[in-house]
Amino acid sequence: MTTIADALPTTIGTASTTRTTSQDLRAVPAALRSEWIKLTTLRTNKVMLALTGAITALIAWALATSTKDPTLVAAELFIYPLPLVAMLAAVTGILMFTAEVQHGTLPVTLITRPARWVTVTAKTIMAGAVGLTFGAVAMVVGFGGAALGGVELGIGSGLVTRALWALLYISLATIIGLGVGMIVRHGAGAISGLLLWSFVLENLFAPALPDGVVHFLPFSAGYRLLDAGPNFEAPVQITNELSRPLYAAIFGGYAVICLLIGTFLLYRRDGD
Amino acid sequence: MITVSGLTKQYGSRTAVKELTFDVAAGRITGFVGPNGAGKSTTLRMMVGLTRPDDGEVRYAGVRYTDLRHPACVVGAVLDPRSMHPGRTARNHLRAMAAVSEIPASRVEHVLADVGLETVMDQRAGGFSLGMRQRLALAGALLGDPQVLLLDEPSNGLDPDGIRWLRNHLTAFAARGGTVFVSSHLIGELSMFADDLVVVGAGTLLVADSVEAITARHSAAVVMETTQTTELLRALAEHDLAAEHSDDRITVRGATKAQMAQLALDHDIRLDGLHEQTPSLEDALLEMTAAAAEFTTA
Repeated sequence: MTTIADALPTTIGTASTTRTTSQDLRAVPAALRSEWIKLTTLRTNKVMLALTGAITALIAWALATSTKDPTLVAAELFIYPLPLVAMLAAVTGILMFTAEVQHGTLPVTLITRPARWVTVTAKTIMAGAVGLTFGAVAMVVGFGGAALGGVELGIGSGLVTRALWALLYISLATIIGLGVGMIVRHGAGAISGLLLWSFVLENLFAPALPDGVVHFLPFSAGYRLLDAGPNFEAPVQITNELSRPLYAAIFGGYAVICLLIGTFLLYRRDGD
Repeated sequence: MITVSGLTKQYGSRTAVKELTFDVAAGRITGFVGPNGAGKSTTLRMMVGLTRPDDGEVRYAGVRYTDLRHPACVVGAVLDPRSMHPGRTARNHLRAMAAVSEIPASRVEHVLADVGLETVMDQRAGGFSLGMRQRLALAGALLGDPQVLLLDEPSNGLDPDGIRWLRNHLTAFAARGGTVFVSSHLIGELSMFADDLVVVGAGTLLVADSVEAITARHSAAVVMETTQTTELLRALAEHDLAAEHSDDRITVRGATKAQMAQLALDHDIRLDGLHEQTPSLEDALLEMTAAAAEFTTA
């Protein structure tokens, strides 16, 4: 059996034991495996996913059974619960970092992998995967719930496109959550701040702002990645909407900014 | 093995660590002692790259910690035994650590058996006692089969059996050529198994030497009791011997019991008591760090 001594150089001070940037890059898959283990070995995350599925199915079913619009189909209804799903995924993204701070496992990770950007990269990729998982599960059970509620399926050519944009929205929301968690470092503070901003502040102040500003509010932009037919209205109305790719770029830009600030602070602060 | 050079860290106007320089030898156990607030934990965090020093550096056989390709395979560190998610099992906690360090997963069960936690490896860490958490933290440090162990107060929360287990473990590790650097405020316990000591106070180095040398440096004292204190002090002064005087007790260092007995006889001084006081390592260290203690009892 190969031992550690066989697998790795044990003499310090040789070139093969000194870290290089390319070796850090090759360490990203290992960091990803670690993040995967962290995510899948906590009951909380599984409960969050199950809860998301259950709530989505329930909302879609309730909307289907209560709607008086005969043109509403399951292929549109499954989008309706997704803003909530995005928030739940964003909360999971926040907890991916703040739980490590709270329980002291972040220093353990940073001691083991001093190149902090490797940890950030792995967490970002995993956050995106979490968003995709939440989104996929929610859309499937949402579609099923709507169908069980008695509406027509309405499967058409636009279904896949609609689902892909929605997956992008939820994945970016999760990454924004991770970035906010890295900045605030406190779970309750980050979660309440994000919810307050997205559900209250943007909706409260946006109607008083010109379209030119509203385009660039994060969740007003992100919301416009969701397409659920003519009856699906965003909380904040914009007269002249931009294209969906542009709104994706704006929402994605916020994810990048949050991550960059979070990474800067991770390097700047002591690792505890 | 470990070279610490000019390590300095300031927090605002407070200097936590100031120009700390010392070496830690391989194959030996080096105790890191000092009163509360002396800068021990800050120093340990700087030694593993968690805290960025304002000046100075730490090298492991000439390589900085942050330059090590596989840090976990060189240095195993336990800085806080509570560093684990309570909802995760011991096995999964170590699996995540092993994965990020590219250590084979087979090491997990091996180190858990090594620290005596093999029967609880699938229990959640939230249900562990502090002693079990200490063992799990040590298991994490041993995952990469490191050459160096850095431990911050590892015996906290351990019962006497656990302390003995830890002591035996560290002694065996050093005997195999490993380097052990362990911080503790339990000086008496450290003195039982440490070979060398690094003593800090108020962020500065007070002494770095072997346990024998430090103990020998604080020589025995002769304590005399007499009602003729004035005459005895005059006689001691004539022989250039410094003395501490308290009521009827006079303490003299650097002299033997026989010498003091002869001195008293020569000056016709009656002694009511005459005995030697051999200081323990704890006494020696407490004396050294007394001036640097941030928190003291009345």
